[in-house]
Amino acid sequence: MSYFESRLKVNLENLKQIKSILNFSKLLGINNVILEPIREVKKINPKIKSEIQDMTSLNVYYRHCLQINSLNQFKKKIRNYSNSRDIVSIETNNQGIQLQAVKDSRVDVISYSNLKLLKSLSKGVLSLASQNSTFIEITLDMIFNKNRSIQSKTFRKLYNSINLVMNSNSCLILSGNFSDLYDFRNPRVLISICNTLFDIPIPKAKKYFDDNPRLLIKSVSDRNNNHIYEKGVKLINGD
Amino acid sequence: MKIRERQRYIMFKIIKDKQTTFTEGEFIRRLWDSVWRYFGMAASIKVGLWLLELNFESSYGIIRFSSNSKEIIISALGLIRHINNKRVILSPIKTSGTIKSIRKRIDEMIKN
Repeated sequence: MSYFESRLKVNLENLKQIKSILNFSKLLGINNVILEPIREVKKINPKIKSEIQDMTSLNVYYRHCLQINSLNQFKKKIRNYSNSRDIVSIETNNQGIQLQAVKDSRVDVISYSNLKLLKSLSKGVLSLASQNSTFIEITLDMIFNKNRSIQSKTFRKLYNSINLVMNSNSCLILSGNFSDLYDFRNPRVLISICNTLFDIPIPKAKKYFDDNPRLLIKSVSDRNNNHIYEKGVKLINGD
Repeated sequence: MKIRERQRYIMFKIIKDKQTTFTEGEFIRRLWDSVWRYFGMAASIKVGLWLLELNFESSYGIIRFSSNSKEIIISALGLIRHINNKRVILSPIKTSGTIKSIRKRIDEMIKN
């Protein structure tokens, strides 16, 4: 089985670091990675993309994560990503912005990468996400904590949130989002952790780690395909 | 008639710094600690954990456990971050019902 790591934060100016991260991912058995620039950039230079692809045999995809604090900021920032060929995700703890973002066709993913963000996850957002085919991403980087009390609270919040998304029929993506190399884990390990600690059946967990990221990439490529008007409607050249 | 419990084997990769060292005892203590911490007594009594091999030269290890505890063991290995206060990753490569196929995989890995 080919494994996905859907969120790897990298500094695009430091190709050496990117190479070591990609090599480490390969060592762990990861075959597909989605890289996210640490600093927000409007567009990733195609030259850098080809340089990165040349240095590895992994399938490399890209995403932009926008940290948003207000609705005006969201409107301003999202304009820059109207024709983005990469995945666009939004991170905000403001439910009003989440509702606006989930309805916006330029936004592919609403991301929840820490406890504060998870607390803002609501049924309204999930319902709109399933209607608009927007993906919900929950990251597992917070599972590692030396303090047992904080760790158990984190597990509890993750358990509640993941089950809430599972019951809403939204497209869920689970990703690592680890920043330290020694916190990286093979997605098979993360699938087992989800199964044993969060009660997610193995086939469903595999779907969240592997199938749904593929669907996301396909939906982004479809968005940039002029022959596809909307989901399920494709212009076919006739004779 | 008492039916013998089926067993399973897991081979895992040890990823660590070159200077990092630990003994078999330290490893197994850390693994038990991980099983205890995350899954408690109920799981601990069922896992039937046994360390078969720990090879630092080729960076792999083999564990035997009861066949129903596969996901628990993979999770417990993955949730280990430190041994002797040194950073490590224990990444599963293959699980099997027979030691023979694990040995075969090790031979392939060493050849490559």
